[in-house]
Amino acid sequence: MEILVIGAGEVGFNIAERLSQEDKDVVVIDSSEANLQRIKDSLDIKTVCGSGSNPKTLLEAGLKQADILIAVTDSDEVNMIACLIAGSQSKVPVKIARIRNPEYSENTTILDKDHLDINLAISPEREAAKVILKMQDVPHATSVSEFLDGKVKLFSLKMRPGCSVEGKALKDISFLHPGKNVLVPAIFRDGRIIIARGNDVIKGNDEIFVVTESENVNRVVSLFGFEAETIKRVMIAGGGNIGYYLASNLEKKGYSVKVIERNSERCEKLASDLTKALVLKGDTSDQSLLKEENIANVDCFIAVTNDDEANILSSLLARQMGAKKVITLVNKAGYIPLMSTVGIDVAVSPRLSTVSGILQYVRKGKVLSVTSIHEENAEAIEVMALETSDIVNVPLKDIKSPKGAIIGAIEREGHVIIPKGDDIVLPGDKVLIFTLRSSIPDVEKALTVKVEFF
Amino acid sequence: MQFIFLLHNMSLLIFFLGISMSLPLVVSFIYSEQDFTAFLFSFLVCLFLGSILFLLTKRPKREISHKEGFAIVAVGWIVVAFFGALPYFLSGSLNSFSDAFFESASGFTTTGATVVTNIEALNHATLMWRCFTQWLGGMGIILLSIAILPLLGVGGMQLYKAEVPGPVTDKLKPRIGETAKILWKVYLLFTFLEFILLRAGGMSFYDAICHSFATMATGGFSTKNISIEAFNSAYIDGVITFFMLLAGTNFALHYQFLKGNVNSLLKDEEFRFYLLIILCSVLLVMLGLVLFDGHDLLHAFRLASFQVVSIMTTTGFSSVDFEQWSDFGKYFLLVLMFVGGCAGSTGGSIKVVRIYLLLKQGYRELYRLIHPHAIVHVKFNNSRVPSEIMDSIWGFFFLYMVLTVFAVVIMSFLGLDMVSAMTSVAASIGNIGPGLGSVGPSDNFSAIPDVGKWILSFCMIMGRLELYTLLILFIPEFWRK
Repeated sequence: MEILVIGAGEVGFNIAERLSQEDKDVVVIDSSEANLQRIKDSLDIKTVCGSGSNPKTLLEAGLKQADILIAVTDSDEVNMIACLIAGSQSKVPVKIARIRNPEYSENTTILDKDHLDINLAISPEREAAKVILKMQDVPHATSVSEFLDGKVKLFSLKMRPGCSVEGKALKDISFLHPGKNVLVPAIFRDGRIIIARGNDVIKGNDEIFVVTESENVNRVVSLFGFEAETIKRVMIAGGGNIGYYLASNLEKKGYSVKVIERNSERCEKLASDLTKALVLKGDTSDQSLLKEENIANVDCFIAVTNDDEANILSSLLARQMGAKKVITLVNKAGYIPLMSTVGIDVAVSPRLSTVSGILQYVRKGKVLSVTSIHEENAEAIEVMALETSDIVNVPLKDIKSPKGAIIGAIEREGHVIIPKGDDIVLPGDKVLIFTLRSSIPDVEKALTVKVEFF
Repeated sequence: MQFIFLLHNMSLLIFFLGISMSLPLVVSFIYSEQDFTAFLFSFLVCLFLGSILFLLTKRPKREISHKEGFAIVAVGWIVVAFFGALPYFLSGSLNSFSDAFFESASGFTTTGATVVTNIEALNHATLMWRCFTQWLGGMGIILLSIAILPLLGVGGMQLYKAEVPGPVTDKLKPRIGETAKILWKVYLLFTFLEFILLRAGGMSFYDAICHSFATMATGGFSTKNISIEAFNSAYIDGVITFFMLLAGTNFALHYQFLKGNVNSLLKDEEFRFYLLIILCSVLLVMLGLVLFDGHDLLHAFRLASFQVVSIMTTTGFSSVDFEQWSDFGKYFLLVLMFVGGCAGSTGGSIKVVRIYLLLKQGYRELYRLIHPHAIVHVKFNNSRVPSEIMDSIWGFFFLYMVLTVFAVVIMSFLGLDMVSAMTSVAASIGNIGPGLGSVGPSDNFSAIPDVGKWILSFCMIMGRLELYTLLILFIPEFWRK
């Protein structure tokens, strides 16, 4: 399996890193020798220096043998041309391009089979906005993903010292509330993810992962000592592409939305394009404006300007002034580990969202879906249980290996089961497996399925 | 920098070396010679020590850093030379451990300098082991372990860069393991071809294996006292000359050539320059032989081509005792000792590409005097050579010369005459083998005092690893946390 990655920026680097670790042959193309040097020193890949829109460079990099082309340079045009060349000079089966400009990505005719033939056009802003939107379904959650056609949600909750479940064992929580189907597959503690067992005790600073049916989310959240409430009032700082996309989607779902934007022309445009949302002209760090607009009653404050520092500071300000939850857009990957320390609930990175979006697309096949959890230290894999697999027809508690993985949900004939130790997986069931990255090979073996099957 | 990391990788190397000792072990069994026990013991020591170390050290789950890459390769080569010396020492083929280490280092670094006075008196197994160590070291013992042990795959690029000769190292395939496999396959193929051709020329099965090993590695260990001269056959001279030429060429180009991409070999500037130097040298040396030594033209061509290719590619076989030549021929060979093979070949010394780029750089300086405002880049194969690479080539060239001079001074202090001191060092650091004077092709290194042997062994490993990889261990900054 040969994969060409064009662009050795942050997105290209992360994609190349993951794919080469999964034993793919990766060739990275970039026009900057310095960028390539960095990637060459740390990854087992080949690099070619040159422009991604130059057919000669692409052929030199092995376009003829490539199975997938991923164009993620900063320039939409270069990415599109690269895909065009990949289609015309050789028949690369899968082409993925990062396309930022909505004027291109919304015009589906130029991307379709007869023209550029791009299989997946991915926009970092759009990906980040999607992640933020999903987060609105589960208040208090720091990450949310959906599985089994949206019937099951996997989300994470950040515990605080002194919260009501501190010191309780996981098995007691479900014991105290029979009938509520909830499973805690893993805990993020002291910087690493551990697969949770019934006897594990919740600690004050844990971030716990929870799997449950989508309709139960609110009741389940309350089990962990959070007020069962839904997000109604949202304030968005920054009315750029992401801000607009969020506002228009949220207002359609019936949220009360306020958008703060500094540029008056942009405000005019937002005001005419949005129907119900309130557009405010002003600075996101203006305390009196925030107070005037009743920040203390806001359920979720979302900072999505294109300035990382402004996003972080305005989020902190909003939090201090009473916003219940803050979500911050952070471009610089280096800032992300800092976020929970400074008191920001959720940090969303457009680049990392793009990386997981692309990887999800590249990996799907026999496996129904793969989603990276927590900076890619763990994965949630959705898979059809095969007759030959080690996990079928055995009570879950008797499945010995793999250690670093746990079954989070089973779907049988349209029914979702959040499993207990006595449940059995039958052949033909869809299964959601939560696994640490280090255990993926064992999981593959147990499932007799390769995650990278295309 | 974690020592456990270093030890873990050493355990693999030692184990691996142990396994490779099974070849001489089998040979010794077939010929039922008395050094069977020595080989068996060395074999078991390596396997035992390797597995113990392997079990004691756990592989840390992270990539090899730059520093660790250098340390693994440099220490790895010293360790390999040490354990490779065990059979010589234990079997009593060589009297002292200094001698055994010298012979082993000379083998793995593909130098081909020997301390054995009567080679033909040695057992078959020992002779086979000498040639086999050259073959292992030629393409790189660490590259081999990258190719066959997936365990070393993580961070293999660092090791590859530290071991493969040449100013820039490029991969043939996206994966380092694949690249290593390809290079070893080409190497194996050529070795096999040479073996067939030598057999066709009437060489015995055993001699053909040994000489194929030693040729493709540009090693130069022979099973005969007077090297290739002993076969006294123009055909064998020709075959070996041809394969020495191949061994001195970049193996990446061979791969392209075998894939049908003929132009990449013929259009390569380094390869063309390499052929040009050889052609001119053969003509000049031939002229010298005709004018000063009174040989006839055809005979002079046969001797000149063999000797020139042998010295230039740093192999070190001889088909005549060139010590007896007149001065012009001898000193011309001495100059060639400082050129060496192409980058990415099994040859040693400074390398053709470095000489070529330095000449181009020199020409550029002259050109700039004529056109003071001109922007002129040094180009290689139609693309610009980055100035950092030019800097590192200058640094290499300078260090190579300084270290050579430094070692020559020590050798002459130990009592060697000027010619012997100079050529013994040049032949060691360049991985060539025989020098001139008292270390000429018909003599050997046994008369050199022990201290001198250790210094020359050090020079050989340093030359094989292209100075930087070994020297970096002696910079205090390297060991600082």
